[in-house]
Amino acid sequence: MSENRVLELADVDSGYGDVQVLTDLSLHVNENEIVCLIGPNGAGKSTVLKTAFGLLSPWTGSVTYHGDQIGGMAPEDIVREGIGYVPQTDNVFGSLTIDENLRMGGVARESGLDRVIGDLYDQFALLDERRKSKARTLSGGQRQVLAFARALVMEPDVLLIDEPSAGLAPNTADEVFEHVQAVNDLDTAILMVEQNAKKGLGISDRGYVLDQGTVRFEDAADGLLDNEEVSKLYLGA
Amino acid sequence: MPLLEYLANGLIFSSIIVLGSIGLSLVYSIADFANFAHGDTMTIGAYTALLTFGAIGSLGGAVLGLPFGFFVALLAGIAVAALVAVVTERVVYKPMDVGSIGMLITSIGIAFIYRAILQLRFGADFTRYDVQTLRPIEWLIPYGIRITEHDVAIVLSAAILVTGLHLLLQYTDLGRKMRAMADNPELARVSGIRTDRVKLWTWVIGAGLAGAGGVFLGLYNQLSPRMGFSLLLLIFAAVILGGIGSVYGAMLGGFLIGMINQLMPILTDYGIPIGIEYANAVAFVIMVAVLLVRPNGIMGEAT
Repeated sequence: MSENRVLELADVDSGYGDVQVLTDLSLHVNENEIVCLIGPNGAGKSTVLKTAFGLLSPWTGSVTYHGDQIGGMAPEDIVREGIGYVPQTDNVFGSLTIDENLRMGGVARESGLDRVIGDLYDQFALLDERRKSKARTLSGGQRQVLAFARALVMEPDVLLIDEPSAGLAPNTADEVFEHVQAVNDLDTAILMVEQNAKKGLGISDRGYVLDQGTVRFEDAADGLLDNEEVSKLYLGA
Repeated sequence: MPLLEYLANGLIFSSIIVLGSIGLSLVYSIADFANFAHGDTMTIGAYTALLTFGAIGSLGGAVLGLPFGFFVALLAGIAVAALVAVVTERVVYKPMDVGSIGMLITSIGIAFIYRAILQLRFGADFTRYDVQTLRPIEWLIPYGIRITEHDVAIVLSAAILVTGLHLLLQYTDLGRKMRAMADNPELARVSGIRTDRVKLWTWVIGAGLAGAGGVFLGLYNQLSPRMGFSLLLLIFAAVILGGIGSVYGAMLGGFLIGMINQLMPILTDYGIPIGIEYANAVAFVIMVAVLLVRPNGIMGEAT
């Protein structure tokens, strides 16, 4: 595994308004790996993604992308750097067609929009079949795929995904995880928050366990799955 | 057959309401507040046209009873209404961090300021554009329709503007971004849309259409500093009826409210003793009735 860090948060404090959520949090994502953030509700998992993506500014500490400081930059600029973000809910434009959703994903591209969208249609056949349908007519799992595809139009080096399986039936969730792996196969690193810790870690290279806004455990995904303390406290085993 | 006459009048009045409704709904969907200064933005359009037309005169030829100079004045009305709205947005609304209700109250203040300035310059009295008063179109009179070429110009111009907006929304990059932002502002930012620019264009388009509506309102009735504000409640009714935030809902709501307003005489024709002076009340009753069945308006989406 290459130790080339795509994204790194170092000693970050962050939160909403006056409410601090993250305390002295450090984590990183290497090139091409899948990293899973697990932990109880309210641990600050989504806050990590929002801080990395500029939806929240870090109060202290640094956020770097390929070594360059991006902490405090606006999301519309961070997208242009090469980071994609898939929110947990409301992650497609329901009143726009699938094709329009993908075009919106590529507004910041200077060239090659049609080529990339063509490639995404090749990869995700279900989107290809329904180009002119409104996104709100898609099922939960299909929406999630569209949400990934929208974020991939920018060909990001790292994709931040917030709870890809939230609200999905188990079978559908499995399909979505397969898509996450397929995205990763395109040389896109992934930092994923997942409530379903076992499945999330199951497809990941490494994982972090967050609790009360800071990292409690960090290890290879297999290591975390085998860790008795992690199992007992966080995997519900 | 007075019905045809009522329908024709409804179409004319609707054209004006629709032009006002679109901007109100657009701004609501993207800036997230009910802009009470929108009616007075219409008034700004009307008075700008009055000034411009007075300054440049007829410029030779005429179409549909309106001198070329009047159409230039129309464009000036659109441009100045848009400019004033954009400046207001940059100087007042944008720096404010007071939530939707605070913005609403602020916009009421802005409405008073616009109106006061117009009243200081033009006085409170009614006035007219210096265009010839036309007789009704001859060949329509046997059908019971008494409308002038000016009325036709209003309807045609509104149709052109609304069609233009539709094409913009559906087939241009800016239009797609506007729809994306209205749909989900946070996802729009996350996708990399420069939302500030889209907002700016939304103000330009919404206020520009309002300016056009104001110019036509002045042509249809007369001009007075209160003209836009008087129409504002009806425009709100139209926007809410159609589904606030939806541009196409605003078009439909504007059309319906305008029609209802002008179809009022039917009631008295059938012996129901509700005079046309109650037109607004009836329009609101119908709006409330529709909202009881469809709380988000006719084209509004359930949230």
